[in-house]
Formats: sequence, structure tokens, C-alpha cells
Amino acid sequence: RSRSKSKRISGFDMAPPASALLAGAATAAGQIPGTSPTI
Amino acid sequence: CSRLHTKPTISPTLCLSNMYQRPDMLTPQAQPNPNLDPTHIQEHFEDFYQDLFDELSKYGHIESLNICDNLADHMVGNVYVQFREEEDAANALRNLTGRFYSGRPIIVDFSPVTDFREATCR
Repeated sequence: RSRSKSKRISGFDMAPPASALLAGAATAAGQIPGTSPTI
Repeated sequence: CSRLHTKPTISPTLCLSNMYQRPDMLTPQAQPNPNLDPTHIQEHFEDFYQDLFDELSKYGHIESLNICDNLADHMVGNVYVQFREEEDAANALRNLTGRFYSGRPIIVDFSPVTDFREATCR
């Protein structure tokens, strides 16, 4: 694998993907995705 | 240790909390993976170190850059960077606050550590 400096992208300012943010928010809120049970 | 150390208002040293993540320890419950190629871990670590050094060098002369690669919860992945000048550390603190590294927020504070050989809890 190339060790050249210019090729590798720094992890700095690599923002979390929007999907991860949304997933994290949903988990934090304690919401369980799903449908309401049918009776 | 579980003591809440007081954070100095100014210091040449910064602590970036939980910044380094070993490739096999990406979740809090993860166990060290003996099957993971040590060369891969080493390269991953070196890339991380290089990233940090490049970025932090923008803010001043770095005296010391320490990355904790311990497997316990305490201080895991903490990065300690000591600048020659306090102003450089303050500048780096201002510039790093609120940014991301590899999709995770950077948590940066001044650290009271000024001599890493003596850096134990007292």
C-alpha cells in the first residue's frame, strides 16, 4: 500500500455520515422503529 | 483513576479525549481481536499519528505527542499533545473545538500534564 503523503486523506473534518447521525438520534431517543401492533 | 482532575484554564498541553480507536475496538464492548494483522494495526496507528501531527503542527511547535492505546475504559484512546508555547495550545484548542475526526466529534481540553514521565495520578 502506498505510504505517500499526498494520497491518504486525513481523518480531520470527516463529518459523520447523515445516516449515522439519524440512526444515533433515533437510538438515543429510545425509539423502536416498527409498526403498532394490530389487535 | 476515577478522580475528577481539575482542568487548568491555560496549559501548554491539550488532551483530546477518546480520539484514537483501534481497528478492532470500534465498539465499547469489543474484545481485542487476536486474528487482526498486527501490521494493519500498526499502519492504522501510524496513519492516525501522522494525521494528528500534521494537523497539530499548524498551530505551533509540538514538544510531545502521546497517544494512549490501552484497552481499559479509562483514558482509552486519549491523545496528549504538548506544545512549546501555551498560546499555541490555546490556538489549537480554539481551532479543534467543534470539529470532527473520522466521523467523531473531537473533545479537546487543556491538560495539567507537562511532564509525561511524571504523568501519573497523585
